[in-house]
Amino acid sequence: MTILLIAEHAGGTLKKSAHELSSAARALDAGATIHALALGAGATSVATELAAWGAQAVRVGEEGFEPYAPLCWTCAVVDVANAVKADVILFGAGALSRDIAGRVAMRLGGTLASDCMALSADGKGIKIVRPTHAGRVTTTGAFSGPGPLVATLRANAFAVLKPAQPGAGNVANLNAPTDTADLRAIVTATVQSTGTRPELSEASIVISGGRSLGSAENFKLIYDLCDVLGAAPGASRAAVDAGYAPHAMQVGQTGRTVNPALYIACGISGAIQHLAGMRTSKTIVAINKDPNAAIFNVADLAVVGDLFQILPALTEEFRKALK
Amino acid sequence: MKIAVCLKPVPSTTADLRPAADGKSLQLSGVEMLVNPYDDYAFEAALKLREALPGSSILAVSAGGDDTAKCVLHAIALGADAAIQVKAPGISARGAAFAIAAALKDFAPDLVLCGRQAIDDDQWEFPGALGELLNIPHVTAVQSLNVDVDGKKLTGKRRFNRDEQTIEATLPAVVSCDKGLNDPRSPTLKGRLDAKKKTATIKTPADLGLDPAALISTIRIETIAPPPQKSPGRIITLPPTDAAREVVRWLCDEAKVV
Ligand SMILES: Cc1cc2nc3c(=O)[nH]c(=O)nc-3n(C[C@H](O)[C@H](O)[C@H](O)COP(=O)(O)OP(=O)(O)OC[C@H]3O[C@@H](n4cnc5c(N)ncnc54)[C@H](O)[C@@H]3O)c2cc1C
Ligand SMILES: Nc1ncnc2c1ncn2[C@@H]1O[C@H](COP(=O)(O)O)[C@@H](O)[C@H]1O
Repeated sequence: MTILLIAEHAGGTLKKSAHELSSAARALDAGATIHALALGAGATSVATELAAWGAQAVRVGEEGFEPYAPLCWTCAVVDVANAVKADVILFGAGALSRDIAGRVAMRLGGTLASDCMALSADGKGIKIVRPTHAGRVTTTGAFSGPGPLVATLRANAFAVLKPAQPGAGNVANLNAPTDTADLRAIVTATVQSTGTRPELSEASIVISGGRSLGSAENFKLIYDLCDVLGAAPGASRAAVDAGYAPHAMQVGQTGRTVNPALYIACGISGAIQHLAGMRTSKTIVAINKDPNAAIFNVADLAVVGDLFQILPALTEEFRKALK
Repeated sequence: MKIAVCLKPVPSTTADLRPAADGKSLQLSGVEMLVNPYDDYAFEAALKLREALPGSSILAVSAGGDDTAKCVLHAIALGADAAIQVKAPGISARGAAFAIAAALKDFAPDLVLCGRQAIDDDQWEFPGALGELLNIPHVTAVQSLNVDVDGKKLTGKRRFNRDEQTIEATLPAVVSCDKGLNDPRSPTLKGRLDAKKKTATIKTPADLGLDPAALISTIRIETIAPPPQKSPGRIITLPPTDAAREVVRWLCDEAKVV
């Protein structure tokens, strides 16, 4: 199989998702030829790391790929996929794939599978496991063409394993498409968030607060614990609607989907729309004063009690334990 | 301005979804179907644009099984000028893009609005796929939208990972809508009564020159199952400090996730 990884990076620092894509590609086919594509300012500096992660060839494109223009990036992905005759194109599930993967798949005459939790090959084709209906069901499907499979992989769903051997990592520079039609949509301004906390959908620990926090000031209890654990803060919709936390923090059906190693739900009742965004988390801890709260049905550890007492104690205990 | 809005029927967000007896599909009989919530933001955006730009018209379009009637009725009750229902049961998001691209040909919209994601298949596929088929740009998941008809362009704002992006696109374009864009209104009683007098145009794939088989997903479903059930977790009911200590011990030493 020939597999093309769309490797995302932040200004030249490879994202963890790229390691997951590489691991998933090798798990799908141990003998796969792996190609990687990195675009945008700083792309060149991730080539070596991509080789260490098994890429035989790396294409990088910097000039002409900023500011971000979805059609321009679509064109680059499609051109590389065609040039290497990719059977599978892997994206991390996130803003980029949600922006262009549908268009890439259509232009390639292939098929898109979004938010995959597992991929495997059985000689006849590729098996795809993905949650649908906001995680209320899990669908297993078989794909055997026509055209390439474009798959986006949910963060933290694929075991990360560095290859025993690095790839050759031959680097080639990619020129930006020159057709002005590719600039018909283009980003004209970007405001970067300033926080140092990890990105919600990539974080390996997420700590969310609900309506019961009672105010934006009280969310400090969540932020303090986050900072001790290097976690990303989240919130229920009720907390967001009440103005205690920004919409960007909302976890759930109409917010973000997270899949961390550890999810701590504080004063969250566990409505189905909230579960939709976090139920695949590997370990779930819930703190709630109501012993019958629905969140306890999905929790590995159910802490019955008052979050205003337990959260500060938890922050203190972790601080001691992690010293 | 000619505005098309794409609406998809989806099972209600609180419906208890279960696999059907064949284990390959969902038991949907008796499950309440709704208009995909994000499509409400799209339709509201269309209404606002028509109010701001007199002479504009709105065409609603929905492709799929019989439930698409629900979407076109809803759109007509909210004031759509016309509606097209493409009867193509079991189509995928990609198939819907083919069907709707063909259905929109005569109308030749300046702007196509849709939702950021259908909450049943959760594919986030249709807007880009439709843009590709219509050979026009697409802009996904906007939380604000301004259209400059004279300049033939639009400006949207959206969240892109951690960033806030402003994105511009030329018209015609496909735009997908996120929560926060507006506050969707509900149909009035009068709207609902009026809707009974209007009808949607019904098309089949054959009418549109399409092969229905080519609209079905190329991923063959083998099983649909409830998410893996967890065994009941451990319950801790200790005084706060003891509870905190026990949580830390369990996470560090037993679960080994910290
Ligand atoms: C179409 C639709 C989409 C939605 N999308 C989302 C979404 O994306 N995300 C989302 O989260 N919700 C979403 N919702 C809303 C969802 O249904 C719930 O209303 C919401 O999740 C409730 O938030 P909550 O748990 O913070 O508040 P509540 O339901 O009010 O629960 C508060 C909980 O805190 C507990 N509590 C109170 N005081 C304390 C204390 N001192 N210590 C410990 N525990 C305490 C209570 O026992 C209770 O369980 C959506 C709803 C709809 C209809
Ligand atoms: N069958 C369909 N009929 C009408 N609109 C659709 C259909 N499928 C998808 N859409 C539109 O595309 C958006 C995104 O859907 P998806 O790409 O399937 O997640 C939806 O919110 C709808 O606006």
